[in-house]
Amino acid sequence: MALLSVRELEVKFFTRRATVHAVRGTSFDLDPGQTLGIVGESGCGKSVSSLAMLGILPKTGRITNGEVLFDGKDLVGLSDSKLRNIRGKDIAMIFQDPMTSLNPVLKIGRQITEVLTKHLPMDKQEATVEAATLLQRVGIPNAADHLDDYPHQFSGGMRQRVMIAMAIACRPKILIADEPTTALDVTIQAQILELLKKLVVEEQMALILITHDLGVVAGVCERTNVMYAGRFIETGPTPELFARPRHPYTLGLLKSVPRLDAVRKEKLDPIGGSPPELTNVSPGCSFAPRCVYATDESRSRVPDLRPIDGPDHLVACWNPVPDEDLPQAPGAEWAVR
Amino acid sequence: MSIVEAEAAQLNVDRPSGLWVDAWDRFKRNPAALVGIALIVVFIVAAVFAPQIASFEPNEQAGPLATNPAGPGGDHLLGLDQQGRDVFTRILFGARLSLLVGLVSVAVGLAIGLVLGALSGYLGGWVDFAIMRLMDLMLSVPGLLLAIGLVTIMGRGLFQIMLVVGIVQVPTFARLLRGAILGQRESDYVLAARSVGVPGHRILLGHILPNSIAPVIVQATLAMATAIIEVAALSFVGLGPADPRLPEWGKMLAENANRLEQSAHLVIFPGLAIVFSALGINLIGDGLREAIDPKLKS
Repeated sequence: MALLSVRELEVKFFTRRATVHAVRGTSFDLDPGQTLGIVGESGCGKSVSSLAMLGILPKTGRITNGEVLFDGKDLVGLSDSKLRNIRGKDIAMIFQDPMTSLNPVLKIGRQITEVLTKHLPMDKQEATVEAATLLQRVGIPNAADHLDDYPHQFSGGMRQRVMIAMAIACRPKILIADEPTTALDVTIQAQILELLKKLVVEEQMALILITHDLGVVAGVCERTNVMYAGRFIETGPTPELFARPRHPYTLGLLKSVPRLDAVRKEKLDPIGGSPPELTNVSPGCSFAPRCVYATDESRSRVPDLRPIDGPDHLVACWNPVPDEDLPQAPGAEWAVR
Repeated sequence: MSIVEAEAAQLNVDRPSGLWVDAWDRFKRNPAALVGIALIVVFIVAAVFAPQIASFEPNEQAGPLATNPAGPGGDHLLGLDQQGRDVFTRILFGARLSLLVGLVSVAVGLAIGLVLGALSGYLGGWVDFAIMRLMDLMLSVPGLLLAIGLVTIMGRGLFQIMLVVGIVQVPTFARLLRGAILGQRESDYVLAARSVGVPGHRILLGHILPNSIAPVIVQATLAMATAIIEVAALSFVGLGPADPRLPEWGKMLAENANRLEQSAHLVIFPGLAIVFSALGINLIGDGLREAIDPKLKS
């Protein structure tokens, strides 16, 4: 049985102006120790799904359908106090912007010990010792000396390390990392990703890595789910997905990444148009208006995820990218070996 | 040196510091705020050591009863009043009263205002609506008028007056805190705290409140000055503490206001006491505001 099993998850935001259908029926399984990448443009619903799984949606958002089975238990509709016992203990999350995700007026140590004393049978002193160990583990030297520091004394990379320390404090079974490196310099990005990879192996944690950066997924994740307008449109093992993207959107994403080894004159090939507003969605495939392969069928009926190139690789498309249109393995060489 | 080590080295550059240490550094460099501190130190010393400094009792007849009492000079630094009491002594003891009034009424206003503001800002919805409309109602009446109304209802005991002056301050505190909380409620660190399972009341008290309290502290300082002036004003219109023996500055001023030409010292000195204590507190409040929120300085 999968550790986490999300079934037909739907999330809507009810604002005074409109109802936004942010997540429109996503399903996926996560096994213990597995690393899953969720890729998509801003606003496609990838962060919202993870907030929904943890029950920390903003006030206007609500899960309108589906279940989130963790260890066989449905988290949807669980009381907040029960969810609180799971958040931070079994499932933890790190966020995009380490500059604002730490409380500016609380000492680093205090923010970590708060998690420890909440979930584990520890008193303040034990928690303080453990906090120092955790900081050391995420690569902060002389950790014990920094427990009394405030967040503003830390650089962005260091703060993200603190956030990671907080997240792994109770040895969660699942770590959700929502764009963990987007706000960081490239050199720091690499360090943080290495750290995450190391921790996932050491702790046997499952990792859900949410990002818009294909390079990040390629380097870290075993499986990749591509999200568009609130749905998964293609899922598969990362190397396979990068080598043979079957959804026109996935192909478009790969083509719009600048590459060092490209021939000089070669231009980037961005996807035309912009993602649909999620307030009133057209009946067909949401990507159809931007898709060169679109047919009348894709404009009128929503495609389901179906196997292609083997049982593990799924694509939701009426008209998958044919072999001859695949450029010579546009992303194959990035993928994990 | 690896990048990690370089970053680690950087960590040590600007230690030790903290929010309040930084604020104090900025405060120290503000001359106006230091003048404020000096004024308030004088004020507090006068209040605390009034019995030691004064050579008389506040209600002791230290000189002759007179229609036109003696002005400053001789044994009486600031002269005598019509009942022959030493004005300097009464102003010292008045400082005690003003300090008490300032502290107690601001404490009352803060206590009620913080609770209402926190509930309003954190819970939102109809709680917020109800509380804020009540505050609007209170704010729609000028503060002094509201105080006069409440004093008429509650009576003129010293405690009642402090309570009233505090209640008048409630809307200011409540709205200020509510606004600050609204600004913090959706912030990333709150989401991060929720994501590790911190319960709601801990998020409000342990995370949001410490980040929202700075403007309230500034306001509380300024409110002390308002409280002192308000009590003086209440006394001036004849609604001050009923006990005629209390050396309240506003009352001293009011009693002798029509004698400004004959015995100016009876009016000027209590007036100066009010002005300088309020000025001192205001200077500190402004200094605090600039120190805590450097953005305002630009």
